[in-house]
Amino acid sequence: MTGASASQKDYKTVIPGDVFALWVDRLGEQYTLTGPVGGGVTARFEDISRFAQMDLDYQSTMLPPGKRYLFEPAEEILSYDISGESNIPGNNRETGGKQQKISVNLPGLPAGRRALIGVHPCDVNAILYLDKVFLRGPYIDPFYTARRENTFIIALNCKSVTDLCFCHLLGAGPYLKARAGYDMLLTDMGRGKGFLVELVSEKARELFDIFSSGRPPEEKDLSAMREAEASLLKGFKKNLDMAGLQNALLSRPDHHALTETSDSRCLSCSNCVMVCPTCFCHNVREETGLSLSRGGKSRIKKIRRWDACQDISFAKVHGGNFRAKRHARLRQFVFHKLDYEGQLGTKGTVGCGRCIRWCPTGIDLTEIAMAMMK
Amino acid sequence: MSFYKKRAFRPRTGFFKFTCCTGCGFELAYFQKSLEETLRSFDFTFFRLASSAGSPEGPFDLALVEGAVTEPFQIIELKKIREKSKVLYAVGSCAIVGGIPAIKALSPEIEIERAAYKERFFGLSSTRPNVIDDYVKVDGHIRGCPPGERDLEEALASVLLGKKPEFIEYSVCMECKRGGNACVLVEEGLPCMGPVTNAGCGALCPAHHRACYSCFGLMGQANVPALKGKFRKLGFSEEDIERFFTLFGALEPSSTLI
Ligand code: SF4
Ligand code: SF4
Ligand code: SF4
Ligand code: SF4
Repeated sequence: MTGASASQKDYKTVIPGDVFALWVDRLGEQYTLTGPVGGGVTARFEDISRFAQMDLDYQSTMLPPGKRYLFEPAEEILSYDISGESNIPGNNRETGGKQQKISVNLPGLPAGRRALIGVHPCDVNAILYLDKVFLRGPYIDPFYTARRENTFIIALNCKSVTDLCFCHLLGAGPYLKARAGYDMLLTDMGRGKGFLVELVSEKARELFDIFSSGRPPEEKDLSAMREAEASLLKGFKKNLDMAGLQNALLSRPDHHALTETSDSRCLSCSNCVMVCPTCFCHNVREETGLSLSRGGKSRIKKIRRWDACQDISFAKVHGGNFRAKRHARLRQFVFHKLDYEGQLGTKGTVGCGRCIRWCPTGIDLTEIAMAMMK
Repeated sequence: MSFYKKRAFRPRTGFFKFTCCTGCGFELAYFQKSLEETLRSFDFTFFRLASSAGSPEGPFDLALVEGAVTEPFQIIELKKIREKSKVLYAVGSCAIVGGIPAIKALSPEIEIERAAYKERFFGLSSTRPNVIDDYVKVDGHIRGCPPGERDLEEALASVLLGKKPEFIEYSVCMECKRGGNACVLVEEGLPCMGPVTNAGCGALCPAHHRACYSCFGLMGQANVPALKGKFRKLGFSEEDIERFFTLFGALEPSSTLI
């Protein structure tokens, strides 16, 4: 993989950091730039105006960038107005034979273009997982689709691992293996050595107009990368036989490790789900504001919000609640992340460790699974 | 059903107050953002805070009741209100979970009376506090101190539409995370009650870098022992922890497990 022609074919180039920064700043003319601000494990993705505002040494964020920006925490998906008259037959009884009119308003699809910069491998994998749900599921979500198409994803291989990371067990990190589904991949080559930039998508090849001002990666760059990856792999603290979990957890649904953890520590607060980059559950509620009294016209909005299987109302259906017990809810989370591979052909976890970090009582799905497998 | 006839249908509404600060009444009559619509859509035939006219006699399409029950005469009044009202909503933490007036449940009544009224407490009939659900059937709980606007609008709009209101039933943490706030409990070790508190406020306090003090009351299945354990680990004293959980939750069972 050496030589200009090979790297041209692979679209890999090594670019000095300041040159790359200038390119990102220029990208800001076409895209809203969104990147990690503030360092460590409590960084957050924010809209920025310049490359220099980012901390690309960040370790993790509370909210995952993909879920936060592609699958909004709350959004209006539909609204309808009811005015005095309708032609819906069933309603005429209630209106004393008068006609009512219901007009449906579809909100415009999200149009703004955004560049998500510095997305870690686990979070890129999480976006690929959300794609299976919203882009390729039985129902194609127009809002997600629109935002996905308008989002330019610049991934960044990790430079450090935290005690809670376990992406290595899933092949999700610390270096990104996926070769599609995002636009660019950066590897920081270390102090003063610039970035190794890989252009993954057609879009990236079109936008990255400074490709030739870099130099083709040499064997020593690539071996430095391999060494960096190998040394990161030694830093992981968690271990678990992931392959062995499939259908194995499910056969022990009431294992004491689950019930005891949930009874003594689980608050049913749903922080784990909220910060999970692959949790896709949402509810759609009708919000009937009081403005319905205005001029005989009522606007009813359907709002979609992130929902969570940990909250008591999640599994409430007509006639009861099929996860009324706390441990049944925690089980759903743990199993959906570590078992249930049949659903989307891959595990529901990417190993980012957020659910552990942001759980107020530190509940750790890998520890539960380990205890269950003993 | 009622909505479609709304030009004619302005629910006859009574607003009743028991033991509380009247903050819910103020919210409804002065501060909430749909004030104009509320006054236009509802015929407040009894609402002392809004008008000294009007009669508590009813009948009412809708009764809104704020405050905890702390005196015997209130029980009789409450039952009468229930009888003459089609729909009765409890409004605010005092009526729903006991709220601030329920703090006195933590001490013997005699000590409370002495402290408040010195030697002049003979002739008082103040009792230990209770929530209004203890005495009458309640059709819905508009939680908060004062109520969150989302649940308040949902409740009022439901009366106009003749539908069952759908109230929020999950933790403050969910609203907090959707809002992207830094977590003051996990990041800073502040004694945030969000994980056990019913949402509806939009995570107001964490959004302003404060610990939630549970003014909306505990949510269903709040795991109180688990959060107390967390607070202990953070180094809070038993007395402090007791205070966190009884500021608004003095009447709540001390262990709401499973
Ligand atoms: S964050 Fe922790 S305490 Fe809260 S619901 Fe999840 S596992 Fe339970
Ligand atoms: S773990 Fe729960 S909230 Fe997350 S995707 Fe699965 S069911 Fe939905
Ligand atoms: S700050 Fe409080 S309410 Fe917000 S997530 Fe943390 S514990 Fe929950
Ligand atoms: S965050 Fe807690 S204390 Fe603050 S308004 Fe909301 S429920 Fe009340």
